[in-house]
Amino acid sequence: MRGKFFILLTALLLTAVLIACGGGAAPTSAPPTSAPAATAVSATTVAQPAARPIKVGIVDTYSGPPAAFGNDALNGFKLALNEINKEGVLGSQIEFVTRDDKYQPDTALSMAKELILQENVDVVVGTVNSAAALAISSFAKEQKVPYIVWIAKSEAITGAKGHRYVFSTSENTAMAGKAGAEALAKKPYINYWIAGEDYEYGHAIANSAWNNLTALNPNVKKAGETWWKTGEPDLTPYLTAIMAAKPDAIIFATGGAGMTNVLKTAKATGLSDKIPMWIHTAIDTSVLKPLGANGPEGVMGTMDYLFYYPETPENQAFVKAYQDAYGAPPGFPAFHAYNTAHFIAEAFKKAGTLDKEKFIDALAGLKIDSPTGEIEMRACDHQVAENMFMGVTKKDPRFEFLIAGDVVDVSSQAVMPSCEDVLKQRGQ
Amino acid sequence: MDPSAVASLLLVGLARAMILFIVAAGLTFVLGVLRVPNIAHGSLYMIGAFTAFTIAEVLGKNPAGFWIALVVAPLVVAAVGLIIERGLLSHLYQREHLMLILFTFGIMLILNDMVKFVWGADYRSVTPPEILDGSFTLGDFAIPRYSIFLLILGPLVALGLWLLSNKTRLGKISRAAAVDREMVGVLGINVSWVFAAAFVIGCLLAGLGGALVAPTTSISLGMDHTIIIECFLIVTIGGLGNTWGALIGALLFGVSQSLGLLFLPQYAIVFPYAIVVIVLLLRPRGLLRSVW
Repeated sequence: MRGKFFILLTALLLTAVLIACGGGAAPTSAPPTSAPAATAVSATTVAQPAARPIKVGIVDTYSGPPAAFGNDALNGFKLALNEINKEGVLGSQIEFVTRDDKYQPDTALSMAKELILQENVDVVVGTVNSAAALAISSFAKEQKVPYIVWIAKSEAITGAKGHRYVFSTSENTAMAGKAGAEALAKKPYINYWIAGEDYEYGHAIANSAWNNLTALNPNVKKAGETWWKTGEPDLTPYLTAIMAAKPDAIIFATGGAGMTNVLKTAKATGLSDKIPMWIHTAIDTSVLKPLGANGPEGVMGTMDYLFYYPETPENQAFVKAYQDAYGAPPGFPAFHAYNTAHFIAEAFKKAGTLDKEKFIDALAGLKIDSPTGEIEMRACDHQVAENMFMGVTKKDPRFEFLIAGDVVDVSSQAVMPSCEDVLKQRGQ
Repeated sequence: MDPSAVASLLLVGLARAMILFIVAAGLTFVLGVLRVPNIAHGSLYMIGAFTAFTIAEVLGKNPAGFWIALVVAPLVVAAVGLIIERGLLSHLYQREHLMLILFTFGIMLILNDMVKFVWGADYRSVTPPEILDGSFTLGDFAIPRYSIFLLILGPLVALGLWLLSNKTRLGKISRAAAVDREMVGVLGINVSWVFAAAFVIGCLLAGLGGALVAPTTSISLGMDHTIIIECFLIVTIGGLGNTWGALIGALLFGVSQSLGLLFLPQYAIVFPYAIVVIVLLLRPRGLLRSVW
C-alpha cells in the first residue's frame, strides 16, 4: 500500500508542476485587448477598413537558454501592440499567436508552416536562431508571405539569401563586424587572436570583423584561432592557452550564455587586464547583469540598443513603460520587437489594405520613429538601417552591474554593406 | 614552448577535470549499483548550480554564503533524488533497460521544465568567495585560485568515495548488490534501501558538481546537455560503474583538451572525443574493469 501511495503522491506532484510550467512558460495566444472590429469600423480616418484583425504569427524560442531573448522580444512586441491597438490599424486590431521553436530550425519551419497554412497569418515574425530564420525565410518566399526576422543576426538573412519576402529589424553580423573593425582599426594592434563558439553566429561575426579589419588595416595579422563548442562550461583552459600565445588583441565571437561565460573567465584568468578584447554585445545588459559588479572592465563592445543611452525622452519613455509592465529594463530583443510591431502597423496603414504584396511595397523604405531615433527599413535589401553604439565596459554608481562607458554612435551608413554589394551577393 | 604555459594549462585542465570527475562519479556510482543509466543526472547537476545561485543570492554579501551553498545545494539535489527514487524509480527496477532509459529521459524533461519554472530563463552567475577570488601568478600566467581549490577538492572527493565503498558497511553492501542483488536480498538485507542510498549519493555528487561549477560559468538552462554527454563518455571509457575509471576518464578528457589547446588550438574541440574513440577501439569495455 505504501508503495502505491508514494507513486500517487509523486505523480500528483509532477502533474501539478507540469501544469504550472505549461501555464507559465508557453505563451500560446493573445486575444485583442479591447474594441472588437465592429465598433472600430466607424473610425473616419481609415480609408478602407479591414473586415478582420491583422494576424501576426510569432515563431520564437521560449524554452532552453535562448528563451531569455524570446521572452524579452515578446514583451516588447506586446508593449507596442498595447499602444497600436488603442487607435487600431485599418479600423481593426493587430493580434498575434506564438509558437515555440525550441531553438531547432526544423521545429521552427514546421511551426511557420502551420502558422501560414492553417492559421493564415498575415505576417510571420521571430526567431533567435539564425538557421531557423533562414529555414522560415525560404518557406515564406515560396508561400509569398512576409517574414520579419527580429533577433537572429546572420548577415545571410538579408544578404546572400535575402529576397522580396524577408525583412530584418535586427542589426546583423555584417554591421556588427564592421562596427568592431572600425573601432579596432584605429588601435595600434597587429597580432590578433580569434576565438569563439563553433556555430553559425560565432563564425559569421568573426569572419565579418576580420574581413573588415584586414580591409581597413592591411598590416594586421592573424596569430591563431580557438573555437569551442556552445555550452562549454569552463573556458579557463581556452583562455589560458590564448594568453600563452600573447596576441596584441583578441576578437571574441560568442553569443548568449557563452558571452557571460567568456567575460567571467576573462576576469578570473586576468586576461581582460592583460590583452585588449572586442566582443560584439559585450556591453549588452543581459550579458553584464548576471556578473554584477564582478564583470571585467575595459572590454570593447558594440550594440544596437542600450536602455541608458541615448538619454533622450523617447528612449526614457520606452524604458519606463517597459519597466512598469515587466519589472526590468528592456533588452535589445524587446527594442527590435517593439520596432517590428510599429513597422507592421505603419506599413499596413500606408498600404491601406491587408494585401501581402502591397504590405511589402509599403514596408520597403518605410521610416519610423524608434526609441533611439528614426530608423529605416532599407528598400534595396529589407535590412533595418539603425545606428549602432560602441562602448567599453565600466562600473557605474547608478547600477549594480557594469555598463558601457564612453559610448560612441556609429551611423548605419558607416557599417551597412552597400546595396550594390548586397545585390551582388544575391547574384543579381 | 614556455614551460609555465604548459604548467598553467595542465593545472587549469586538471581543475576542469575535477568537476567532470565529481559529476561522472555520481553517474557511474548509480550505474554500478542500480544499473540505471540516469540521463537526468545532468539536470540534477543543473539544479545544484541553480540552487547554489539562489542560496548565495539570499545570503547576499555574507562571505559564508558560498560555503553554505556548497553544502546545502547538494543536499537539496539529494532530496529531489530521494523523492524520484522512492516515488518512481524504486518501482521500476525489474523493467528492462530501455524502459529505464526512457524513464530517466522523461525525468530529465520534467526537471528541466521545473528549473525553467522556478528560476526562469535568464543567465545567472555566482561570485566565488573572497578567499577563492583572484588568481596566483605562474610565470606570465594567472591561475584562478578557484582552479586550485578544485584541484584540492577533487582528490578529497575521490578519497571519500573510496572510503565509502571500501570501509563502510553501506559501501560493501552496495558493491555486493552491484554484483548479485538477489544474493544480498537472501542474506536479509533490505536491497531497496541500499539502492535508495546509492541513488541519493549519486544525486549528491551531481549537486556538488553543480554547486562547484557555479562560480566558473554562467548558470543557464541547457547546461545539463553538455555535461551529461561528457559524463557518459567519461564513464564509458573508464569502465561502467568504476569510480576510479571515472577519475581516469575525467583526467584524460580534461588534460587532452588542455594540451590540444596548446598545440593545435583550432582543432582542440576534437581532442577529447578522439581519445574516447581510440580508447573504445582498443578497450571496448573501458580502461578499468566494468561491473556490468
